[in-house]
Amino acid sequence: MEAKKLKIMVIDDENIVGKRLKPALEKSGDIVETFENGESALARFDEEPFDIVVTDIRMEKIDGIEILERVLAKSAHTKVIMITGYATVEIAREALSKGAFDFIAKPFKPADLRAIIKRASKELRA
Amino acid sequence: MNILEKLKIVKHKNPDIIDFCIETIRFRKLLENAQALLDLFEDGYEKILGEYILDRHYVTSLIDNVVERLDLMIYDACVLAPESGKELYTQYDKHKLKAEELLGGGGYSEEKSFDNNKDSSDLNSVDPEYKLLSEVLKWFKGDPSDPGETVMDFMLQIYVYVLKSLETKNILKSEALFKSGISKDPGSNIYLIDLWKDAVVSPKIRTLDDINSIPLKYFLMDVYNGRALQDSKNEKKAATWIAAASEYSLSFNTLKSDFQFRLEATASDYKKSNFIFVFADHSVKIENILSSGFHIEKTDYGQLAWSLGAASETIEDNLILIGRNLFHRDLRQM
Repeated sequence: MEAKKLKIMVIDDENIVGKRLKPALEKSGDIVETFENGESALARFDEEPFDIVVTDIRMEKIDGIEILERVLAKSAHTKVIMITGYATVEIAREALSKGAFDFIAKPFKPADLRAIIKRASKELRA
Repeated sequence: MNILEKLKIVKHKNPDIIDFCIETIRFRKLLENAQALLDLFEDGYEKILGEYILDRHYVTSLIDNVVERLDLMIYDACVLAPESGKELYTQYDKHKLKAEELLGGGGYSEEKSFDNNKDSSDLNSVDPEYKLLSEVLKWFKGDPSDPGETVMDFMLQIYVYVLKSLETKNILKSEALFKSGISKDPGSNIYLIDLWKDAVVSPKIRTLDDINSIPLKYFLMDVYNGRALQDSKNEKKAATWIAAASEYSLSFNTLKSDFQFRLEATASDYKKSNFIFVFADHSVKIENILSSGFHIEKTDYGQLAWSLGAASETIEDNLILIGRNLFHRDLRQM
């Protein structure tokens, strides 16, 4: 039986991240939407929940931690993966303690993120 | 004659020897900073070739780190070759300007927006971040049409300034040293100085087990186990050597000779810190001493070669090979 397509949301204020990740993640057959700020991403999430949210931690106005909290408040089963930049290990720890599924440090290879998403999807289907 | 019989421990640390130790430690510091710089180059090349997801912050950090490392290298160089300070800082300022230019413009003024609702068919166009990274890598190593302007060129220039200065100052070749510290007739011996401590286990070296310095032990291993050295009648072959060693490091230089050769090595279990650096003048065919894994650069002043971050087994094999080639063959015929 064909596995259900995952709905993945990617949020990063550096547009290159979404631009490069979207085709890389779509190769697995999943549905990917990308956003460059927290406001538009959360507005979209209010319309329709996503299975997986991949978000940068450091962003202006709404940062990754706030996105994590608001996503999990709305949809507890959603797996949130944090993208960390540099010198943000402490924040990454905070994110994990607040319920993030995992984190990945930039620069990274799409295959590394796909491996995390695969683990997350197994938990979603368990 | 057994190679270990040629190994003479220098016990008395007169001021010249202390100066030599300080100079050696500082030179190794320069190499460490150069190694960090080369690691940054390698990381940049890996990122541009390896389909990485990166952002502008990665590229700007790379530029900042390169400028910072260059600054540290210049500082080391100025300690070793103070007379070159003005020239080196002038060159450094040019590189700082280039870095600022890259950070300021860097092709990032292009269109930033990316519509996530559309198909990503425009991925083939070069993203500004990758364009900037490509410019940065050109600044690092450049292309043959742009000689003398790259960070790599500057790094080689720093080495040459420093090595020339060390050769001119000639701390250990002073007569005073030979009278008080080493010997009136140093012959083709290897004079061993404990750089920190723990270079040797015993004050009398009879077997390799009496040497505690890992790189020195491997450097002499094949010579010790192989055929005995023949005392050369050829003055050119009969170089006097000075080895400054500690448990994990070795600095091996010609002391009295009509040719220049310098080897610096760190051999430990920690792969990242391992390296071998070799400098040789043009009379030596450096490719014939080293294994194929070395990066070789030729300058007007001499030849530079290095191998960085190798596993301990590789470093040990390389040291064995270099030691064997250095002592068993006539360098001029290599």
